[in-house]
Amino acid sequence: MSQVFHEIEKKIVLSLKNNPKQTPEQLQTSTDLSPDQIRRGIEWLKLKGLAIVKESQTINLSLGKNGLESFHKGLPERRLLDLLKNDSKKLQDLQSELGTVFGPAMGLARKNNWVDTSEDKIFLKKYPSEFSGEKTLKQIGENKIHQSELDPADLSDILRRPDFLIEEIIKIKEVELTENAKSIEISTNSSNAIDVESKVPDVIVARIHPLKDTIDEIREIFVTLGFTEIIGNMSQPAFWNFDALFTPQDHPARELQDTFYLDGLSAKKIGTSEQIRKISESHKKNWRYYWDINEARKMVLRTHTTCVTIKHLAENKPDEARVFSLGRVFRNEKVSYKHLVEFNQIEGIVLGKNSTLRDLMGIQREFYRRIGLTKIKFWPTFFPYTEPSFQTMVYNDRLEKWVELFGMGVFRPEVTKPLGITKPVLAWGGGIERIAMLKYGLDDVREFYNNNLNWLRSAKKCQ
Amino acid sequence: MPIVELSYSRLQKLLGKTTKKQIADLLPFLGLDIESEEDDLIRVEYSPNRPDYSTDFGIILGLEGLLGIKTGAVRLNIKKSNNYAINVESTVSKIRPYVTGIIAQNAQIDDNFIKQLIAMQEDLHFGIGRRRKKSSIGIHDLDKISFPLTYTTTKRDHQFIPLNSNKKLSISEILESTDVGKNYGFLLGNSAKVPIIFDSKNQTVSFPPIINAAETTVTTKTKNLFVEVTGINKSDIEDMLSIVATVLQTAGFRIVSPKIFGGKNTSPKFELKKMVIDSDLINQTLGLKLNNSKIVSSLKKSRLDATLKGKKIICGIPPHRFDIFGPMDLVEEVVLGYGIQNLEPILSPSQTLGQINPISLQLKSVSLIMIGLGFTEALNSSLTSKKILYNMTNRESNEIISVLDSKSQEHTILRDSILPGLLENLSKNIHISYPQKLFETGTVFFQDDPIGEKINFSGVIAHKDATFTEIKSILQSALNQGFDVKIETKTFSHPTFEEGRVASISYNDKIIGIIGEINSKIIENYKVRVPVVGFEISLTGLIFD
Repeated sequence: MSQVFHEIEKKIVLSLKNNPKQTPEQLQTSTDLSPDQIRRGIEWLKLKGLAIVKESQTINLSLGKNGLESFHKGLPERRLLDLLKNDSKKLQDLQSELGTVFGPAMGLARKNNWVDTSEDKIFLKKYPSEFSGEKTLKQIGENKIHQSELDPADLSDILRRPDFLIEEIIKIKEVELTENAKSIEISTNSSNAIDVESKVPDVIVARIHPLKDTIDEIREIFVTLGFTEIIGNMSQPAFWNFDALFTPQDHPARELQDTFYLDGLSAKKIGTSEQIRKISESHKKNWRYYWDINEARKMVLRTHTTCVTIKHLAENKPDEARVFSLGRVFRNEKVSYKHLVEFNQIEGIVLGKNSTLRDLMGIQREFYRRIGLTKIKFWPTFFPYTEPSFQTMVYNDRLEKWVELFGMGVFRPEVTKPLGITKPVLAWGGGIERIAMLKYGLDDVREFYNNNLNWLRSAKKCQ
Repeated sequence: MPIVELSYSRLQKLLGKTTKKQIADLLPFLGLDIESEEDDLIRVEYSPNRPDYSTDFGIILGLEGLLGIKTGAVRLNIKKSNNYAINVESTVSKIRPYVTGIIAQNAQIDDNFIKQLIAMQEDLHFGIGRRRKKSSIGIHDLDKISFPLTYTTTKRDHQFIPLNSNKKLSISEILESTDVGKNYGFLLGNSAKVPIIFDSKNQTVSFPPIINAAETTVTTKTKNLFVEVTGINKSDIEDMLSIVATVLQTAGFRIVSPKIFGGKNTSPKFELKKMVIDSDLINQTLGLKLNNSKIVSSLKKSRLDATLKGKKIICGIPPHRFDIFGPMDLVEEVVLGYGIQNLEPILSPSQTLGQINPISLQLKSVSLIMIGLGFTEALNSSLTSKKILYNMTNRESNEIISVLDSKSQEHTILRDSILPGLLENLSKNIHISYPQKLFETGTVFFQDDPIGEKINFSGVIAHKDATFTEIKSILQSALNQGFDVKIETKTFSHPTFEEGRVASISYNDKIIGIIGEINSKIIENYKVRVPVVGFEISLTGLIFD
């Protein structure tokens, strides 16, 4: 295993190979590094799985007041027996001689049958060869001693006696190499190698707006399906946005509360006189109302890109065509997590004498397949300018439900005939933000236009 | 889109042997989108062209067809009666000349049905009634009315107790003080006299198109109904009445037609409309090879009458299906009856070659070059506010293009410049790490004849050492490398920029934009704490036309 190590890491590993368990303080001495270098070195080795730090605790013992007294003068029981070695003595005399230690000394001597009492005198019966606890006292003396160095049986005798011992609890960190580290060869030769496995900071990635990515992707799919892009104005006379698409002038969709009208702006020229005449006739005949050209002149912000398509068809009257228009459209709505006043729409048409609804369904199924949506179905719906009209429903795995995406249909004869378009026109399209929301997993459509750099800098490119 | 609340158990009771799942699966194939579902209740959205789907009973007709329980057109079984008559006086001809109506007898009315009737009435008023202008409807308790009725006009001081009131109000008071009066009074203009329906005892029945009398209110005790529709066009009022008549008949009422005299008014007829359709159109449109008998059975499942006559198919369309204009509408009825789920999509090779618009390609190039220069792409609305566009940037304009009646304060005028939006974006990101570099390309608007649109390109840089030199280097290099455009900058003055640090951008001696350090007061307005530099140029006329 070849790995690049920092000088600090090398020194620590080498030292631990010689001396497997060391505290950070011991490592400081053995490596001649500063406490901070040791701390960092240990952290790095831990992250690499090369070192572990074991924490344990030990107890240091020193003698307390009574312990020290016994250390200097002997254990109370030895002092008692020493006084009786030559002769029996009176209780009072022993008491005054030994003071406070007389009681405990006497208790022990009686219990062990070392003394006996006769009338008012106490005499020695047996002088033991050794006194339990004395070894410990001697070992500790005036120093601090690790508990582990002491004879546990001897110690336990002293531990019971009040004020004999002082305990000091000490926490110890010990650094050890892991099994992995033990196999590492540390070269002490200096080299130019750096740690290529260590972490580095992120940088800001400049990028195309995520919504634009989706727009570009969809545009390219349309092109590969044989569609040519046409572009038109966002501001349009109501004539192309509504009248040409068979939406009667008194229809609620045309009211101010749904459509943005441009204050005081009316178009002088809206179409050829034949177009105007035929469209007005179609409206009068089918919708039974007074068709007002001034209403058709009013400028609106387009509510769909269909106005661009229909104008293109009316002007060019192709025999065969696949064209699409993509861009911003507008609705006078309250802005919310699901509605914007301005959003992107794409709409494509297939024109040709052999175009059928099943073909259009096939194109759509292929389109969805290419953006990664495979579970789709078609439901009927209503659009004022197409008949029959379908909508595609796409299954969303994240939301676990069917969501409505693009609409489709055949342009009504009431739309195509007045404009001199004789072949069937099949149209399909819808909002792009909806698809982008699915791709980026967003629940709030406003995010696309907030320009929140946190999001723009973190949204993943490939979804 | 309007919404109707249905109940599974009601639908099941009306349909006979059906399961909840069967119904739920079929509703979308009638064009009804399920909005929400809760136990027995189900809320569906219906298309405004199918107001007959505004009640359970209308939907039942559709479900019966698809399930094959009953097919073909629903025929209204109208009894004629001399007991009921409406006389129309000539005075109404100038204000609301037409009236029609039906009597519906002998059925149970519960709370839920009343709720649905009211909802249906509102949807009819809003949609085909064009907010009551073209036609409006009144539903009354028949037993509170003495026939014959008179449809006439009355003065504005005429008094009666209107619906939802307990005291007499004059016409003027109704128009001034009630919600419906305030909302729809304008339909009557300034005329001194207004439409009114009186009964034979001179009691007020209805004040169309505003409000009914309280006396004739429909309750759960009502057994018999009188429905009147008034309007400005005879066909429109008959269309509206046909919906109500169909729904009421399906709900179990016996329908009786009154005699209507005066002006061009006649009793309602409710006849099937005949329409011919060619099977070629159907098969060409759908991409199928249906034989005629399959087409006939599909049309019948869509609750239309259909019979074969040679190659032609003769359809009978019930009066409430006035959404059917011509053969293409019948093609849709065929495919609904046949079942969209039975249409297999096909992918035929395209006979045409696709192409991206040159403008889109150029804009993509601009984006790619700016990304290469470390800029993040922003997207802002073209519909914005005076505050962002002018107040915050110290700009002025006497050519502002506004939209009427915007529901959002933040979207009231069309942008004539992109830069203010980018400055606004910087102000929303002051807690994010610098440097910040943003760009945007998009449409801006200007007054022309009547309005012009062009595509602009703007960029901003914000960081503690941002300078004029940096932004000029960026723009100069981007345009030179991307489009072989060599720009020059000349001393200029502009309120958004710092005096002495702003230049016009020209190409071939034509000014195409502006560049410079943003005025420190404006940066302060935006609460941005680092210097900001920026530019904006027109791409239209520069790299495309």
